[in-house]
Amino acid sequence: MGSYLNNRLTHVWAFLTAITVASWWIGQSRGATFQLDAMVTLTVLLMASVKAQLVIQYFMEVRSAPRWLKQTAYGWNIGLLLLLTGVYWLG
Amino acid sequence: MSDSVSVDAPGIKAPGIKASSGVRQGEPWYKNKKLDQYLCFWSVPIFYTLFGLVFVPLSWMMPPRSPDSSMAEIVAFMQSENLLFACVILILSVGLAAVGNAVYMTQMRRMTVSPAFRFAFMAGSITGPVVGCLFPMFCFGLGAFRPDYDPEILAMLYDFGYLSFIGCLGCFCLMWSMLGLSILLDKNNILPKWLGYYTVWQFVTELFAATVWIAKTGPFAWDGLLAFWFNMVLYVPWQIIVYFYIYKAIQNQPEHELPNVLPVKAQPMLQGNAL
Amino acid sequence: MSNTLESVVHKVDVREQPQVVGAFPGQPSMWFFIIGDLLIFGAYFIAYMAYRSQEPDVFLQSQQAMNQGVGAINTIVLLTSSLFVALGTEAVRAQKIRDSLRLFGLAMVFGALFPVLKIFEWLPKIEAGHTPGENLYLMFYYVMTGLHLFHVLLGLVILGFVMRNIKTAANPDVRFVETGAIYWHMVDLLWLVLFALFYLMR
Repeated sequence: MGSYLNNRLTHVWAFLTAITVASWWIGQSRGATFQLDAMVTLTVLLMASVKAQLVIQYFMEVRSAPRWLKQTAYGWNIGLLLLLTGVYWLG
Repeated sequence: MSDSVSVDAPGIKAPGIKASSGVRQGEPWYKNKKLDQYLCFWSVPIFYTLFGLVFVPLSWMMPPRSPDSSMAEIVAFMQSENLLFACVILILSVGLAAVGNAVYMTQMRRMTVSPAFRFAFMAGSITGPVVGCLFPMFCFGLGAFRPDYDPEILAMLYDFGYLSFIGCLGCFCLMWSMLGLSILLDKNNILPKWLGYYTVWQFVTELFAATVWIAKTGPFAWDGLLAFWFNMVLYVPWQIIVYFYIYKAIQNQPEHELPNVLPVKAQPMLQGNAL
Repeated sequence: MSNTLESVVHKVDVREQPQVVGAFPGQPSMWFFIIGDLLIFGAYFIAYMAYRSQEPDVFLQSQQAMNQGVGAINTIVLLTSSLFVALGTEAVRAQKIRDSLRLFGLAMVFGALFPVLKIFEWLPKIEAGHTPGENLYLMFYYVMTGLHLFHVLLGLVILGFVMRNIKTAANPDVRFVETGAIYWHMVDLLWLVLFALFYLMR
């Protein structure tokens, strides 16, 4: 089992979990009423995008895939982040 | 559960057959052994033309009107005289849908899946058009049939018509899920695998129509961006692509697989499983 | 000495397996499905954002009633399940059949936890009268998480087929295992965005 603990995938998982906990901490209400907050929104969207990138690269193994697939998958992630923040900005 | 038993006895296969078209050399087109399938196939564009005529220029039911139209708008729509013509055309031509669906089932029989898929497909292809095609046109036609109906009744028929047209997609969902799963499970590769996946998106997004029973405005209402328009964007190209590949599948079907070519004795599939 | 060297080489080998440049994980038709599914979900995400900006107060108020903690636990459950699937795929490549079965089994246990948690999240909400008809946020929430849940359930079925293949085939079909794995990772990926959009953002 040691080789699984000391595996790159496990390290990636630990990092993903850490970001999840951090983003949960940021997104808590702490008793206050939810209000529009561009800072919180941008931070959690960016964190989600980083997580998505790691899942695509390491779990889905796109980092070793042909170029077109890399471009498509990374392009989806970056494009989605830009569009979501863009729509939020305009709204 | 392979029910497309291929009969390869050498004596049965007549010489000089072009496998791609089904035409024997020197024989007229009406002796084409795939004529039945081609007729079914070409009934589809005719059906869709009539269907389009009924639901767009004759009734202006499509694109969908709003669920919260005013009473005056509803009454004006429900009493327009063209609705009667639309109804007549629809009841005369709706049977063509059955002919068109036969072409799917003929090709589905060649796939290495349980016949249960075809039976469920057929059940879905019967219930879907009844609820989604006939019910709405009957509701709208009623308004034009007897113009002195109470506006309240017309408003109810309006809701009934639209909800059955767009809220009926569960039946079509069943039908297309059977086609999609057959494509994905089929080992003969009658239709391409990616088309099976496209079919999965198509029938899963149809489930979104359930929201039209809850939302009266916004993106999930029956004229909404997500409950209607997004589905259309996925559905229309899908329907065209599927028919294109069905046509190719008919062309590629070897003649010895055609049940209407062989004498009855040589068709094991006719003994137990004739559908 | 040579023994330890060998084990090190083996370990490196297992870890670096997927690094063959230009290698294609899974079947191309599954990638077609995944890319299309990502685009479809992407369109819904953007529609959600656009409608949200039209009535932000309604969305924020309903979002406050959500349990951020359950959302985070759901995320970690899916991430953990994904990790086991990824490790299991590596184990299949390294011909470690027993390990891979154990790993995929764990992945399924975590994967099956997700629908259970979802039910415990939905039921109290519905009992409290927060149904899809209440407002647009809740409609989006139930529709999108429902669609995602549908993907999770389908993924559990696929993982079952993957395990059956590993268990019964003389030589497990690595391509097929990879195909099931990338589907499962996509389910994980979509939830990461859903978590940010429906629980965390303001």
